[in-house]
Amino acid sequence: MSEILLKSENLARAFGGLQAVAGVSLSLPAGRVTALVGPNGAGKTTTFNLITGNLRADSGTAQIRGRPIMGLKPWQVARLGVARSFQDLRLFTHVTVRENVLAATETASWFWQPGGSRARRQREDRAAAALEATGLAALADARAIDLAYAERKFLSMARILAAEADIWLLDEPASGLDLASRLRFGELLRAATARGVAICLIEHNLDVVAELSDRIAFLDQGRVLAEGEPQAILRDPALAAIYFGDRPQEAA
Amino acid sequence: MLFLQLLLQGIQTGALYALTAAGFALIFGATRIFHFAHGISFTLAGYAFLFAWNAGWPWWAGSLAGVLAATLFGLAMERVVYRPIQRHEGSFFTVFVAAFGVAVVVQNLVGMLAGRGFASVDTPLSRATEVMPEIFLAPIFWIAIGVAVVLFVALSAFLTRTHAGVALRALAQNPDLLRAYGLSSNRLSMLAFALGSAMAAPAAVLTAMTTGLNEAIGHHVMLISMAATIVGGVGSLRGAALAGLMLGVAESVALQFVDTQWAEAVSFLVLFAFIIFRPSGFFGVVQTR
Amino acid sequence: MTAYLANLATLVAIFGILAATLNFVVGFAGIFSVAHAVFFGLGAYAGAQVALQLFPDALLACLVAAIVAGGLSLCLALPALRVRGEYFVAASLGLQMMATTLFSEAKAFTGGIGGLVAIPRPTVAGVEVGVLPLALAALALILFLTARLQRGAFGRTLQSIRDAESAAEALGKNVAAAKTLAVAFACAGAGIGGALFALHLSFVNVESFTMDQSVLVMAMVIIGGTGTLWGPLIGAILLLSLPSGLAFLPFIPATEVGAVQQIVYGLAMTLLMIFRPAGLVGDLSKGRATA
Repeated sequence: MSEILLKSENLARAFGGLQAVAGVSLSLPAGRVTALVGPNGAGKTTTFNLITGNLRADSGTAQIRGRPIMGLKPWQVARLGVARSFQDLRLFTHVTVRENVLAATETASWFWQPGGSRARRQREDRAAAALEATGLAALADARAIDLAYAERKFLSMARILAAEADIWLLDEPASGLDLASRLRFGELLRAATARGVAICLIEHNLDVVAELSDRIAFLDQGRVLAEGEPQAILRDPALAAIYFGDRPQEAA
Repeated sequence: MLFLQLLLQGIQTGALYALTAAGFALIFGATRIFHFAHGISFTLAGYAFLFAWNAGWPWWAGSLAGVLAATLFGLAMERVVYRPIQRHEGSFFTVFVAAFGVAVVVQNLVGMLAGRGFASVDTPLSRATEVMPEIFLAPIFWIAIGVAVVLFVALSAFLTRTHAGVALRALAQNPDLLRAYGLSSNRLSMLAFALGSAMAAPAAVLTAMTTGLNEAIGHHVMLISMAATIVGGVGSLRGAALAGLMLGVAESVALQFVDTQWAEAVSFLVLFAFIIFRPSGFFGVVQTR
Repeated sequence: MTAYLANLATLVAIFGILAATLNFVVGFAGIFSVAHAVFFGLGAYAGAQVALQLFPDALLACLVAAIVAGGLSLCLALPALRVRGEYFVAASLGLQMMATTLFSEAKAFTGGIGGLVAIPRPTVAGVEVGVLPLALAALALILFLTARLQRGAFGRTLQSIRDAESAAEALGKNVAAAKTLAVAFACAGAGIGGALFALHLSFVNVESFTMDQSVLVMAMVIIGGTGTLWGPLIGAILLLSLPSGLAFLPFIPATEVGAVQQIVYGLAMTLLMIFRPAGLVGDLSKGRATA
């Protein structure tokens, strides 16, 4: 069993009367891809937001390598090695592709970055490598806003690669990608897990889940209903019924 | 007694602030355009009334001219400035700068044509009499409050009872929904500008009859409207009106403690405090963008 | 004529500093301040007081002005951390209005409406110097610094916050610190401009630090083009040459030159926003204005 990099216990958060997350416990082991699966509104993105400090949890804890992270600000969590992507990408639209990725390598918020020109060259190399790995090298000087859909998704991944985090929280990173792009995306994930990165991804397409993940956590109504090997979870008829919305009282 | 006198004066000022602020909030709610030139509608209405009065027109004809001037200006802004900007993306800042430019132009034109400095009309209505020991009120106090109450009742009836009014409120809540129902957001946006701008006119006419106008008063009105809309909570007409009233009272009552030149600063202190401690205002929902 | 040109050049340098620093927060950090004249004023009063109370050393005056304006820039950074867009513009307008009142009332520091008079000629290390070379040197320094910051990691940090604040935060950027620093830098620069302004005129009062002035500087940035390096300077040159240009037109009475000037730049702002939102220098294909 590999080391658990990120662990949450009983995270909960309500919005008004709605219990969006009702006690989610997750463990992300190094070198594994954990998929968060569940119907819309199951609390998947909210769980991410609770871990990253974008939302404050009503109760529960989370740790990175045993260090408690509840109450930390998003940038503090990020500096502990968490990188996340957003469903709506949130690229730095009006600067170039290269600058998007460079920005991910520069975390000091002071007038200049520490380490002088040597560190700067290292950051530039990291950025270049991330662009190479995501196939964006040729587009380095284009503005992010001018990219095509799949390129934008890969740019979002390039930022995460360049950030050199070892915990990745990816919110629907593969949605809308064609088969070829999905294969390339799968290679990115495998290269990362081979380096020991712990990945958690939210994904709706169950084929993609089966293809990419090592474990699945099935969320419904803010709870983890089941957790385990992809094949076992995906074949469970009760879960499938929930996933495909066959609950009569829930017909919306 | 001084306190009561100041309070009553504050209510009079506040009633006028409430009217202008509600107009601004109506426009912002329905169109999401921060109409930075709203104060100019006020300026134009006030000066239209002044000109008409000095030309010997009856008060109602002058007031009508004021309403017309304010409404036409609002409509012109919507058609000539805001709509072209919104057509090509147009960030809020582009809108702000364009509106500010117009405000600068009109303010200076008014200064050149009508002369600079304060101008007012003198009517028997604005002469104060002692209604209680040491409390002086002019008939205009009752007129201001009456006009404000009547207009707010009429406005809320319009917004809840008529088809167009309901559509306007819907537009404020969910523009996409409205488009899905095939209602023309263009026509509604013009309606919002016409109504919202017209709301500034009565306040302008009453101000011309009391404290008087100067060419730069539009700035002041715009800032108060903006402050009231934010303090009241964006999207809430009731909030804007109440906050306008409150700012008027706060400015006036503050005079018990500070000199008149600080009055305006009081409003901005309130605005500043709200932005830092409660950006969603009294009635607003938190919106972080 | 040389005196006239020297005066104009000094003012261009001073307003160039103001426009370049405002452009830094507007164009790169997306912080749309309409209160730049407040920090110009703080610097002017601080610099004037140094010259009046201590000794008229220009460098000391600029240093104190930068510290006062940069320190008090927290008043602007605070709302910038809380709200964005229209709300922030409203807050900065509010700050501007409060500061104008404060400048007219805090007589001990500002001399009230009458202002501070008889500010001695500036010296550097005891030798009397003209303000023009000082102002040009300060402008060069500020342009150099803003260019460095804009093109380097800090500029990138600000742009990433401007474009997607939450994503920048998720990459480990301390948004509050970066915004506060950017505002402090810009306001300190405006303060230096203010100190030079006070030394140049040897007289300052509140009229130079009102909302009209803030709008004028904003107009320089916009007309030149936000987010560009030279745009703000070109905007400053254009708008400062405008009154003298208008003075040559015989049909405008001398008393109306100020008003006509304001009408011209007001009109320019509106028309630019409708037809060329990236400004005169801004490249439309790269500016904020593309769809």
